[in-house]
Amino acid sequence: MQDKRNRVLTGTHFEMGNWACTEGAIAAGCTFAAGYPITPASEVANHLAARLPRVGGTFLQSEDEISAVCAAIGASWAGCKAMTVTSGPGISLMQENIGFAVATETPLVIVDVQRLGPSTGVPSVGLAGDIVQVARGSHGDYQIIALCPESPQEMFDLTVQAFNLAETYRVPVFLMADGFIGHMREQIVIPPEGELAIKQRKIPAGSTSPLERRDFQDVDVAPMPVFGRGLQAHVTSSCHDEHGMRNLSDPAVMHQYVMRPIEKIRKHRDEFVQVQADHPEAKTALVSYGTVSRSARAAARLARRQGLDVGTLRLLTCWPFPDKEIRRLAAKVDNLLVVENNTGQLYPYIKAEAAHACRVAFLGPQTLGQIHDPEFILSHIKEMIA
Amino acid sequence: MSVSEHPLRKYTRRHITRTTTCPGCGIGTVSQAILRAIDELGLDMDDFVFVSGIGCSAWIPSPFYAADTLHTTHGRPIAFATGVKLGLPDKNVMVVSGDGDLTAIGGNHLIHAARRNVDLTVVLVNNGIYGMTGGQTAPTTPRGLTTITSPYGTMEHHFDIAPMVAAAGASFVARWTTYHPRQMTRSIKKGIQKKGFALIEAVSQCPVQYGKASKLGSAVRILEYFKENSVRIDKARAMEAEALAGKIIVGEWVDIAKAELTQEWTELRRKLREESECHKLI
Amino acid sequence: MSKVNIFRQSCKGVDDCGICKFVCPQDLFQACQEMNAAGYFPPEIKDESQCTGCRNCMVYCPDFAIWVEKTDDQPAEEDEDKNAG
Repeated sequence: MQDKRNRVLTGTHFEMGNWACTEGAIAAGCTFAAGYPITPASEVANHLAARLPRVGGTFLQSEDEISAVCAAIGASWAGCKAMTVTSGPGISLMQENIGFAVATETPLVIVDVQRLGPSTGVPSVGLAGDIVQVARGSHGDYQIIALCPESPQEMFDLTVQAFNLAETYRVPVFLMADGFIGHMREQIVIPPEGELAIKQRKIPAGSTSPLERRDFQDVDVAPMPVFGRGLQAHVTSSCHDEHGMRNLSDPAVMHQYVMRPIEKIRKHRDEFVQVQADHPEAKTALVSYGTVSRSARAAARLARRQGLDVGTLRLLTCWPFPDKEIRRLAAKVDNLLVVENNTGQLYPYIKAEAAHACRVAFLGPQTLGQIHDPEFILSHIKEMIA
Repeated sequence: MSVSEHPLRKYTRRHITRTTTCPGCGIGTVSQAILRAIDELGLDMDDFVFVSGIGCSAWIPSPFYAADTLHTTHGRPIAFATGVKLGLPDKNVMVVSGDGDLTAIGGNHLIHAARRNVDLTVVLVNNGIYGMTGGQTAPTTPRGLTTITSPYGTMEHHFDIAPMVAAAGASFVARWTTYHPRQMTRSIKKGIQKKGFALIEAVSQCPVQYGKASKLGSAVRILEYFKENSVRIDKARAMEAEALAGKIIVGEWVDIAKAELTQEWTELRRKLREESECHKLI
Repeated sequence: MSKVNIFRQSCKGVDDCGICKFVCPQDLFQACQEMNAAGYFPPEIKDESQCTGCRNCMVYCPDFAIWVEKTDDQPAEEDEDKNAG
């Protein structure tokens, strides 16, 4: 058995997805987390509260989710790898300051263990209802990164990746889990510490004036002038130039303030956007992400057993949207069935990239609140092929 | 011999040559009180991180002070500052913001930071009105005052900030007006040195918006009002409520030592590390 | 005798602000005739020899526009602002 005082709990475990997420965060070097109790995400915060102080970190139980995201952003500027964890209602409260993290180019991981909404909805039922709100919920135009795990193992793997992406690109990165995989117990393999690739943010070398540095808005990601090192960083969420200085009058600065943080993610998207295909030569493809991918794969397997030519494409990255990957798939298939555990949040995006080349249809769950039955998906595959 | 620039300018960013406030605004007096406190304590700006929110007073440190400055969203500077302080426990983290920012939209963070007793110094500039947005009623506006959102006079009662934060658990609480810049400086020094949550409420004049609403009209007339209506807390304690109506109680409410959050965290981590080393030896 | 340094370009005007004039116990400040770059009329000292070096003008000025240098023979600066409360 592993020593629970270690940072990386190398070995094979049988635990919940929410446990795996916590261990992924700690393995990635997280030293600060803030959160407010909420079902079905609470176990992540509970476990962080126990684990972080043992590895030199800090956990803050905040007075609300607004405070949680703000404290995490503050800690990130203090030089910590920082995160917060919540569910849909908490994301709704965090939205304004998610925009703050985008505008100030703050590395931050936000774990969203999604539940059925709108409003209070059903706390313990997983439903991928926050997919668009994490990308578009804060005001203004911006680009974040979001990853979609489908298993407890991926809640470990993609949490590590989320921290690496946040540190590399100075951007909020979302882990879009849900109540099903958050509470699901499966085998989780944690590799030896040396086998985990861990990224650190770049920090500028000593110069005391931000006017002599480029602290923001570099499409190749500016080094981050973290606090406490005599860098006299000027950080504001008002429109600012590349030195961080407020400018509310020059449209050229406004353009750059909005565009550069978007461009820096788009420019580098090939380095990290990830999709996973099986049976890529099949003429019918099921496109899915997150927990429901497990049903989609099972349905494709059932279909192939019945002699139908069906493959799957799973989006591990849902933001930035894998547009090229969808176009490439659409060029090869005749039918594309979008299987989402919601009422069709990514469907319009997928249709926009695919409809010129193949038939595209959407399939939500047979009953919202119940994950897709593979047989239910299969019947729709047959309908579409016929 | 005459000097070519104000000696406190050594604490401000070189390229910011002017303050942004309206003529006669008290914010600049508070700004100077903060810098004089730092100067008199012999501290360096690199020892500080300044966090502010939205509103006129949030511009005291940002972009003016030559230090790490974090200019945040409306109401949230204390929440951001709590994260900064927990991440950099050896730095002085100072929040500078207004009454609207810290007691209306951000009121919950204020009382919870005081309850946690996290080592922040909060300089809360209270001018009794929303200045930047054009003179709306604030939670600090005296009852009966006519503002643009209370055209028939405010019907609500106002927050009494200093005793509220004292009741929430702060280690140090003081209130002065901009008629008391020296006392204010002294309390800011104590607040910086206090290991725990410190609030310095700086009652300040907004000659433009509050001046219009109160019909006092100018900075000087509001300062005169502060001068004539301030009552020391020790005197006030012996006075009847009726005699205190309309008065501004000034002084220090709380100055105590109690367990502080970042120190508690450092101690917990040390204890767990020792336990872990013990465990390894066994 | 104290030297009262006035940083004219930082000032927002005796007529618009006037705090220095209000807090000077000797009533030594008056608006000058020459406008600064921002359009304000900064103060000038009527008779610097009358300055007691109390530094009220300096500590109250909201615009970092006044600095009073004191000579050794003058009394130490008060540590309290008087006549209030």
